[in-house]
Parts: sequence; structure tokens; C-alpha cells
Amino acid sequence: MQFSVRDLVNEDATRISRRCWSDPRVYELEKRGIFGRSWLFLGHESQIPRAGDFVQAYMCETPVILARGEDGAIHASVNSCTHRGLPVCRADHGNTKRFVCPYHSWSYRVDGSLATIPQENTLRNKPDKSALGLQRVPRVESWRGMIFGSFDPDIVALEDYLGDMRFYLDAFFQRFPEGVEFLGAPHRWVIDANWKLPVENQLGDVNHGPFLHAALISREIQERIEELGHSVVTAPGHGATFRLMPEDTPWQEVAWGMEGLGGQLGGQEVQDWLREVQARAAQRVGPLRARMKGLTYGIYPNLSFLWSNTAFKVSHPRGPGRVEYWSWAVVPAGAPDTVKRALRTNYSSFFGPGGIIEQEDSEAWSQQYRGASIDFTDDHALYYGLGLGEEAPHPELPGLVSVTANEFYARNFFARWRDELQAVEEGA
Amino acid sequence: MSELSVQTTPQEQRELERFYFHEARLLDNRQFQQWLALLSEDVAYIVPSRVNTQVDNRQRGREEMLSVERELEGADSMGAPLREENLFHLALRVERAYKMNAWADNPPARTRRIIGNIELLQRDAQQWRVLNNFHLYYARPGSANCLYSGQRRDTLSRDDGGFRLCRREVILDYADIDKPTVGLLF
Ligand code: FES
Ligand SMILES: [Fe+2]
Repeated sequence: MQFSVRDLVNEDATRISRRCWSDPRVYELEKRGIFGRSWLFLGHESQIPRAGDFVQAYMCETPVILARGEDGAIHASVNSCTHRGLPVCRADHGNTKRFVCPYHSWSYRVDGSLATIPQENTLRNKPDKSALGLQRVPRVESWRGMIFGSFDPDIVALEDYLGDMRFYLDAFFQRFPEGVEFLGAPHRWVIDANWKLPVENQLGDVNHGPFLHAALISREIQERIEELGHSVVTAPGHGATFRLMPEDTPWQEVAWGMEGLGGQLGGQEVQDWLREVQARAAQRVGPLRARMKGLTYGIYPNLSFLWSNTAFKVSHPRGPGRVEYWSWAVVPAGAPDTVKRALRTNYSSFFGPGGIIEQEDSEAWSQQYRGASIDFTDDHALYYGLGLGEEAPHPELPGLVSVTANEFYARNFFARWRDELQAVEEGA
Repeated sequence: MSELSVQTTPQEQRELERFYFHEARLLDNRQFQQWLALLSEDVAYIVPSRVNTQVDNRQRGREEMLSVERELEGADSMGAPLREENLFHLALRVERAYKMNAWADNPPARTRRIIGNIELLQRDAQQWRVLNNFHLYYARPGSANCLYSGQRRDTLSRDDGGFRLCRREVILDYADIDKPTVGLLF
């Protein structure tokens, strides 16, 4: 059946066709129109501190090696040999001088350049090795240690792409003088769902909390969220949700880290540490952002930051109906190891593949994909209209701001998504 | 972990089997509250994550090169274990199980655990260190069925009332986590 992307998302993005999540043709357009043209998160500098360090990453379905070269610079290369296409790197992370391809042992430096072709010794015509390195990701930039790559050589600078999201990200990052650290290899969870639903969930869907998670999130917690919660869209597709706590709030109720079980059960050492961070927060990030108690953030297209439980996540598509959902536990780099170990459980107890809360989310995401694949529902688009037009500028917070029940974050996401898909559909 | 299991009497081996089979039956019958009563108050319940590590050239030709331990990010590592829990976490999971809104388990999954290879590694007056393997078949309505496979590294204490679980480390045999959850009571 023929359709145009314009027909899938209406003008104000209040009605969205189920095909957006389930149609293979839409997925092919997404690869080119979104994943080929956006800044995509690759990893954090704390994962590759020394020359030769590498981690694996993905840009949509494209496997990428992110590495620090001998020169100290960061390089991103597609993990596929120029000879016959095998992956040249098999470990999740490590340190090396060379990636050696299993098939015929071509070897590559960590910056992706081709070092040796064993077969050439016996041949008269020597190939030009300088032209045969791994395919480079043409743009790689980082901000606050967060490394992104793009396949679009002409994309705007990363800082401009992030725009006012930097104000909200800094409310977290700048709390810690030594920055943050990503721990270990990411948890890679394969879920039968479309990649956009986890993204939407983290972009601003605070409102499913007391319902989907009623077994664990009490009505009182949710009422506090509704009372103090703000939802912000800095640019279509980017969003932040947080609580702005009253000025006289006791430190335990506003401090980052105290919301999870790691902070609560972590004992004196952990709590003293968190209290100290909060005591310096106003000085470090200003009085307004010191009162911010984060919930979730989204960076277009598929990076999420769960501030309340301190995990970064990427929703890597694997076809319309599958996602490889990566998540990292993130801790302050300057904390003692005992504190880091306690705080990493803020994430893992509730979120990630073993988390008590996120098992409900992943189930909801799988079921939504089924709902989006039901026959005879083409003329019954999903409703995205809650709170239409209720967002407004705010005197102190950049972006458009509203209560958390307003679904403008999702409408903005899908309006951008539609326009970008339409651009490739029309060959722009 | 290359040591031979200690010599056990048939009676001791039967006691261990009785404990583990009973535990498996409680979990498969969804009698999680009774399962909680098998835990010691200071129980530690850990599920390391499992990483694809780089082969270390210097270990070539030796068994260390392929050791399972190198793949694990456990409680003592500075990596990211999948789960690090105590009685509070486990009680929360059990509490959730009997709430109306535990949607991922509504309707509840059907499970069957097979426990085997029970080896007593070490024992003193208070504590027994026991290895055992499990296959856990899991069928969640509306979701693909799957099999969990793994090893449990347990520490049990023994008193008049029988065994109590003091520590369990679950080594899951996964490459990708293509399961609906690893938040089960393994
Ligand atoms: S495929 Fe890589 S060397 Fe031949
Ligand atoms: Fe959720």
C-alpha cells in the first residue's frame, strides 16, 4: 500500500499512525533521514582514557569502534574490514595497538588506518593502503566528555545541536568537579519493541508512573511529581523533565543520588558524600539548578538520560520491531570506589534488564509494538493530543515549559521526525 | 574454581538436594513469600554482567585465557553488575509479585526450574559453600518463551531449622540479553 510520511503524522502531531512504529518502509526512511543525519551518542571519554583504549558502539545498526589513538585523539570507525567486510574488533572494550581481521589478517591501527596487508609481500602491485582504512565516521565531537558521531559531514556543530539542553545537562554534570564516569560495559537488552517508544518514554512520559508502576510508585510520590514537575522542550526532539524543589527543602529530599536505593541504603559514607555534593550545588550550578531534581531527559534521536536513577541509555534500532537497548550506570568520577559501588545500584535495582521498575516498561513497549502492528487499524491513529497548546516560555528556564501531563514533548518529537523523513522521501 | 567438591555423605548430599528442590518448587509455584523465609537476614544476591573480553596475548596457551571469571563484572569490580541486592530488594520483588499492577507478570509467567550438578565445595561448622546449575524455562503470556541457564554460587548456613541462603551469585549464560527480564528469582 502506498502512503506518504505526511499522511502518518497530522499537522499538529496529535494523531499518529500506527505504521510509524511497525512499517518496514518507514524504518528504511528512518535510517537515512534520521540516523544518517543526526548526532548519535557513541560513548564517554571516561571509557577510553588511554591511548589504544577502545569500546564498541552502534550508529543505528552500523557497528562502530570508538577509540583513542596514539595521538590522544578520539576516532570512530565502522567495524568492518575493507577487504571482505568482517568485523575486525570482537571485544566489548579493551586496549590494543592493532585490530587484526580474522579472515586474512589485514591489520588496522586504532585510528582506523590500515597498517598491514600480509598478502602483499608476494605481489608485485602493492595496494595503496592509505586509501583502504576502515570507513571513518566523518564527524566526531564531544561535549562534557560525551562523544557523538555523525554520518553527515555537514551537520551543525555538536554544541549547537544540543543547544539549550546543555543548560539542563549541566545541572547534573557540573555538580561534580571531576565530571562523571561510565562504569563497565553497557547492559545490552534486546527487546521486541520499536526504538521510538523507549525514547518517548524517557523524553517526557512521567505520567505513566503511578499507573504502569503502581506496584512500586505510590500515589504520594506521584502527587509530588505532579505538583513540582516541569516538562521542557528546548528544541523539537530534545526534552527534560525534573522537579523544582522549594527553597527550604531538606537536603535529603533534593540531593541527587538520594532517590535510589543505593543512596538510601548506602550508609553514612555515601550519604555524607551526597550531602556534600548538594551543599556545593548552588555554588557550582547556581541556585535555580541546585533545586532541580531530575527525572528524565531525551536528546534527539535516541539518547536518554535517566537522571533520577543515573543511567544513560541508547535505543539502538534493530528493525521496526526490535531494539537493542543499551544502558550505562553513571557515577561521579571523583567519588571513592565504595561510594561509586553503592550509587551504581541506584540504576540497576530499578532500571536496566534486571531492574524492578523497568520490567514493566519493557513489557509495555513490546505490547505497544504489537498494538502498532494490528491489521485494519490504519484509520485509527494513536492519540497524542493531551495538553495541546498549554506549553509556554518561562522566566528562568530555557525552552517551552509545561506540566508533565502535557504531551508536547512527544508531539514535537514526531513533528521533527515527520519533517526529516519527508525530506528524504522527497529526495532532499 | 578448579577445586574438587569435598567428600559428602549420601545423607548430606540428600539434605542439599532436599533444600534446592524445595526452593525450586516454591519458586515455580509462585510461593515467593515462603521462599523469602529461606533467606538469611544479611543475604547478598548478585548477578554479575558478562562481558566480551579481549583475549590477553600473554595468557595464550593457558587455561586462564578462557576463564569465565575474566568475563564477569561482579560486586567487587568497578564495572556494572546486573544486580546487587539484599533482603530489602528481594522483599520488594516479592511484594510486587502480589500487587495488582505488576503488569509484566499479569498474567503470571509459567516457570520450571531444573536444578542439578550440586557440589559442596567447602564446609565448616557454620557455612557451606555450594555450586549448582539451573535451567529455568520461562513462558510469559504474550511474549516469546525462553530458557535461562546458569550457575549459582551459594553460601548456605545451617542450623536446626535446616539451610538458609546467605549469599548467591548467579552466573547467567547469556551473550545478548534477549530475555524479557533478568529480574527473576533465580
Ligand atoms: S576480510 Fe578482512 S582481511 Fe580479508
Ligand atoms: Fe516507566
